[in-house]
Parts: sequence; structure tokens; C-alpha cells
Amino acid sequence: MQQRHVGSGTGGIGGADGVRVGERARLGGAGAHRAVFAPVESRARVDAVVRRIGDAIELGLLSDGEQLPGESELAGRLRVSTVTLREALMALRQQGLVTTRRGRGGGSFVSLPRLPGPERLMTRLRGWSTEELRDLGDHWAALSGAAARLAADRTEPDDLRQLIRSIRELLEAADAGARSRVYGRFHVELAAAAQSARLTREQVALQTEVGALLCLVLGDDEYREEVADRHRAVVSAVQDGARDSARSLAERCVEESATRLVALRLSL
Amino acid sequence: MSTIPAPVGASDATHGASAPERGAEGAAARVGRALEAVFEAVAETGAETAALLARVAAAGRRPATADLAALRPGLHLHLARQELVSGVGFIAAPGLLGDAPTWLEWWQTTGEGGVRPLLLELDPQQSAYADYTHWDWFALPRDTGRRAVAGPYVDYLCSDEYSLTLSAPVEVAGRFAGVAAADVYLRHFETAVLPLLRELPGPAHLVNARGRVAASADPAHLAGSLTRGPDFATVLERARVAAWGGLRLVPCRPVPLVLVLGEGLAGPVSGEARG
Repeated sequence: MQQRHVGSGTGGIGGADGVRVGERARLGGAGAHRAVFAPVESRARVDAVVRRIGDAIELGLLSDGEQLPGESELAGRLRVSTVTLREALMALRQQGLVTTRRGRGGGSFVSLPRLPGPERLMTRLRGWSTEELRDLGDHWAALSGAAARLAADRTEPDDLRQLIRSIRELLEAADAGARSRVYGRFHVELAAAAQSARLTREQVALQTEVGALLCLVLGDDEYREEVADRHRAVVSAVQDGARDSARSLAERCVEESATRLVALRLSL
Repeated sequence: MSTIPAPVGASDATHGASAPERGAEGAAARVGRALEAVFEAVAETGAETAALLARVAAAGRRPATADLAALRPGLHLHLARQELVSGVGFIAAPGLLGDAPTWLEWWQTTGEGGVRPLLLELDPQQSAYADYTHWDWFALPRDTGRRAVAGPYVDYLCSDEYSLTLSAPVEVAGRFAGVAAADVYLRHFETAVLPLLRELPGPAHLVNARGRVAASADPAHLAGSLTRGPDFATVLERARVAAWGGLRLVPCRPVPLVLVLGEGLAGPVSGEARG
């Protein structure tokens, strides 16, 4: 496999310095990377790290061949001990998502599986309890509902172009991964239309968690159409300045997705 | 939804202007000058990029990402010297470079006082955010051939900040090659202009051509909200002071912002403006 190094030595992912001239940096947005490597707060730290990095790889936020920051830097940024991080990297290696080489030029590298990995995603879903999924859905509904309501107050037609484009791209996206990315982008754009940097940052962070899971339900064409319809309804309400209905339409849209994930989890 | 504001009468607009109005025009001019300094950084970046691309073309080569590294000393200087500028660079038009379909040579200040390059995922197969050509800071200069102020908007692509982005087209041999641009975070802009707004006798705020509030000393019109009613684009086009309801609308020449001034002592003014 061809190895591409984003940073040299200490730079690493999202690092400031040492980026090679002409090197194509392939980071999924400064915000997204900050979110991927933000401190892990859960007590089950190994699982949390595995889930975070695994989801980021699944979503393409970390690219194939990309070198992960050095162990001590990565541990520092995630605020886990080096031991915990090593356990997490071990689990990621077992899932085939990370390869590690020793010696000079060595380190841990993202290894994107060639085949779409519904089974790997199912394994990931098994790592979530239904209570956690329900809570994830609640958080998402709170963010997107609030964003939709504010956007209805603060949006003019020109601000809606990006949202409309995302609906179109959702209908055009062939694979579940691309659909999930565009689904997430719609909600990030909705937060931006609310003119709130905080809601936008929160939504970006939330999408790094929920995005990979959504691949599991967006492969279904019928459900993809339903999501597009729901997004269209949200945009119409925002356009009409109907704040309350924009909020509840956005909430219902994401609650339905969370419900589907819970149902799928219960079937495992 | 919006109506064309009536131009202020001739006697009012010239020697007959009241002291508060002269104060408003002075404040608007100072806002204009503050952003004009940022536009100078944009213009210098654009000129340096155009010269660089012309040199590469003269050598019979197609430009590559490595060529753009020559812009870095200049970009770092703008970040160091221009207090309002938190990000600056050149964004290539798709297809300009030989070794990458799209590219941003973009540098930002860090919280610790250093600078860092923006590292964006530009592969559309990997990222839903890879295409940057629809953002106002790129599309406006490309489509109009003129410089532009984008925002205020949440910049979730580059900085995660609520921002204004000032940009200008870069052309080589008459062809659009991309845009030079600079980011001004709204919190910094507010720090710069709030003292000017607070000196005015009435409640004052600044809006862009679409009525989006960019900075405000008026609690009834907060940054990010829309001031509805007046057609601010027309005010900017005419480049003259206008009146709308009880409001004075003063263009901040030469930048596309309008200073909206309510009557200080004559009761509330927000009703009509919020339409």
C-alpha cells in the first residue's frame, strides 16, 4: 500500500508545521479533525477511542494511508493514557482499520478497507447500547431543531442554496457512505444558516459520531428518499420563516434516523 | 419585501447636514478605511499570485502546488501585520494547477500567535466539503470580476469562526485563475468598530448588502440577524446617504457595508426596520 505522510515527524494530523510542499492535505476540514482528536470524555476510553477513530476512517475524515499522530501526541490530544491508546490502536488493527510499522519512518497509518464494510459497521453498532443511541438522537434533535428554528428567523433565500444543493446530492449519491456524508453536511449547513458558530461546531462533532452509523440505514433507497423529503420540508419551513414548524420538522427528521438505528441495534 | 429608500434631500445631504449626520458619515468612512486596509492585503496577495503565475507561464510550464509555496512569506507578513486578518491566501480555480484539481494556499493565525496552513480534504470521494466553488467568497469575484465581501457567515470550511471574508479575483492573461482572500473574524471586527458605533448619538449597527448585521451597538439588532425593510444593495449602489422610516442609511464607502443609524432621542426605531 502506498503510504502518504501528512506531516513530517511531530506535525501529524491537523498539525501546523512540516507540511510538505505540494503535498495534498486530505483532512476533512479543520473542524472535523479537531473533533476526531478532541479529548475523549467517556469512562470506557478504549471503546470511545476505537469508535471515534474507526468512525472517522469510515467517514473518510481520515484518509487511506494517512499517518496518525505519534502515540504520545495522540494520547495527549485525546486525553487518554498511552496505554489506553495502545489498547485502542490494537483493537483498530484487529478491525483492519489501522496498520502499524516499526522503525524509521514507522508509525500508525490509516488503512481503508477496500470493500464496503457493512459487517464492520454492524460490529461498530454493536458497541452502542440502545440507551446511548437514544441519547445520541436526542442530542442531534436538540442541535438540529434549534438550528432550524434560528435559521427560519435569520435566513434569506440566498442562504438556502447550499441546503438545496445537499438535498439534490443526497438523491444523486450512489453509496451509503456518500449519502451519510451529505446527510451530515445538510445539518452542518443548517447550523451555519442559523448564524451560530457554536451550533455548527457541535453539529460537526456530532456528525463524526453518527455519520458512520447512518451508513447502515441510508443504503436503503426508500429511506434515502424519505430523508430528502424531510429535508425539503425543513428548507420550505425555514424559507417561510415558520420557526416552530422548521424546528419540529428537523427534530422529526433526525429522530426517525435514530429510531431506525435503535431498531437495527435490537435486531443484532 | 424590501423597498427602495428615498435619497436624502439635497440640502440635507450637502452643506445642510446636521452634526449627528456628519458624525455618522465620519464613522462610516472609518469603518470603510478599516476594511480597506484588509482589502490592501487581498490586493497585494492577488498581485503577487498573478505575477507568480505569469512567471511560471512565461517559463512554459503549468503552475503546480509547489509554485504557490513562494507566496508564503507574503502571507505570513499579512497575518503578522494586519491585526484584523486571521486568515489569508490564494484559492485556485479548479483546473488551474497541474498536480491538483483544486487547491487552497491558505494560512491562518493560531491561538498561540503562530501561523499554520489550512489542511483541507479536497478529494470529493472522501469529503462532502471538497468543492469550495459555491462559497460566496469564491463565486462572487469569479462571477462579477470584482472584489467582494462575503458574510457575515459561519465558516465551517476553514476556521469554524463567524467571519467576513474579503476577496478579489486573480486573473492571468485575462483569464480567471482563482481568488485572493482574507478572513476577518467577526469578534475582531466588532472590537475594531464598536467604539465608532458607540460614539454616535443614536442606536447604530452595520449591515451588509443583504441586511445581515455585521456589528451592532444596538441590542435590538444583533450580529447575524437580518434588518428587514430597506434595500441596502441600492443604497450601496447609489453610494449616498439615504433615509428609511426613522433611519439614516450611510454607505461605508468603499466597502459594501451600510451604517444604520436610528434616532437617538426620538423614541424606538426598531419597529419599521424589523418589518
